[in-house]
Amino acid sequence: MKLVLDSVALARPHWSLAAGGTFGPGIHLVSGDVGSGKSTLALLMAGLSVPDRGTVTREGIGQAILSFQFPEFHITGLTVADECRSWNLEPETVLASAGVELPAKRPVLSLSRGELKRLHLACILARECDLLLLDEPFSSLDCPGKEWAAHLIGRRRSGITVVFTHEQSIFPHTDHIWEIRNGVLADCGDLPGALRTWEHAPALLRRLIAEGKIPADLTQESLMEAACRTQE
Amino acid sequence: MIAFENVRFRALAVPSLVLPAGLTTLIGPNGAGKSTFLKLCAGIAEPEKGTVTIDGQSPRKTEVGYVNEFPDRNLLFSTVHDELASPLRFRHTPCAETVREVRACAERWGIAALLEREVKDLSGGEKCLVALATACITRPRVLVLDEYDSHLDAGRCAVAERVLRSSGADYIVRCTQQMETAANSDRLLFLEKGRVVHFGEPTAVFANLTATPFYPLSWRCRS
Repeated sequence: MKLVLDSVALARPHWSLAAGGTFGPGIHLVSGDVGSGKSTLALLMAGLSVPDRGTVTREGIGQAILSFQFPEFHITGLTVADECRSWNLEPETVLASAGVELPAKRPVLSLSRGELKRLHLACILARECDLLLLDEPFSSLDCPGKEWAAHLIGRRRSGITVVFTHEQSIFPHTDHIWEIRNGVLADCGDLPGALRTWEHAPALLRRLIAEGKIPADLTQESLMEAACRTQE
Repeated sequence: MIAFENVRFRALAVPSLVLPAGLTTLIGPNGAGKSTFLKLCAGIAEPEKGTVTIDGQSPRKTEVGYVNEFPDRNLLFSTVHDELASPLRFRHTPCAETVREVRACAERWGIAALLEREVKDLSGGEKCLVALATACITRPRVLVLDEYDSHLDAGRCAVAERVLRSSGADYIVRCTQQMETAANSDRLLFLEKGRVVHFGEPTAVFANLTATPFYPLSWRCRS
């Protein structure tokens, strides 16, 4: 199972994006500045957008799901329960896994944005799929919500998961890091080696690396373990 | 000061609270009432009971710049230039001055390259930056900012921090889920289930949150 970006290029009057590389099974993190093309890349990988040049090829991938960065774009039901059913899921099951109290009859549009994001992620993460593309999954979530989402995402042990994010504190278990630099997708490699070349690394991680403390992963536990090391 | 007296609005209840001038950041779980609190500060909502005043005045009689947590709900016009210009045009600012102010504001926020773009083509983070710049362009006395940073990268967050601090606003009330950002405030207000649970300087408030995910990771790692 893999998704291959072969000399993909997209040009618009104000910016451009070039991407090449192979996304295999595991959890991939894609970072980049505001407006660098993360969401555009997610659309290309989901097949919802077509590049000007190059090809996006899926091999051995059946179902794919894309989570847009704005949870409000996903709303199709009037109530929380309707929204769950629109994903072909039982509301009771989803709401039990959401980790917060969301009354089934509550109108979806009355939820706070964070509550909406949590409902949306609970639905998406309850579904099985081969390719899961998550555009800014942590935005609007509160800190417990980010930990909840990171845990559920990191638990995916099959399929290809790609997390597009600028999150600075809370990450899922991550296998591979990519970043968009000056309009080009760069492959930083597998962890932990990727951390040495990751230009968008959070400040805390950069500090740890400067001290020679390379975490094995991006999870809170790994960052804490590295921070607490007294000797290298 | 921003004063809450016997305020009730939906699930939010604030018996008595005074926010001094400066940068106040609301933190707390999703659904705690943070956005509702901010809407009361901005005068977008009025309490069902009690009063909210800013230096003795109703928020609706105070100049307030407001950013909604839903980025698309902030944008009214087609192009970035027109969006930024709108608060100036609404107050009949002369055209030449409007053009000058829009350019200067866009430069301050690092979005000058976006001025001719259509807002529908912007990324999520770019929409947030345009909303922030638009809220600030008339230099209001009060800025009320609802999770403007949820789509911003670290570099843009740093720019926003610098520009907001030099905005000249007497009161900046915002909410964020980035605890490293929250730590850089004059005071924090922790809301939960519609109630103010903690209020004070960041060190004092975070001291109550050490066992929770709200405690900044960098603070945890330094200790």
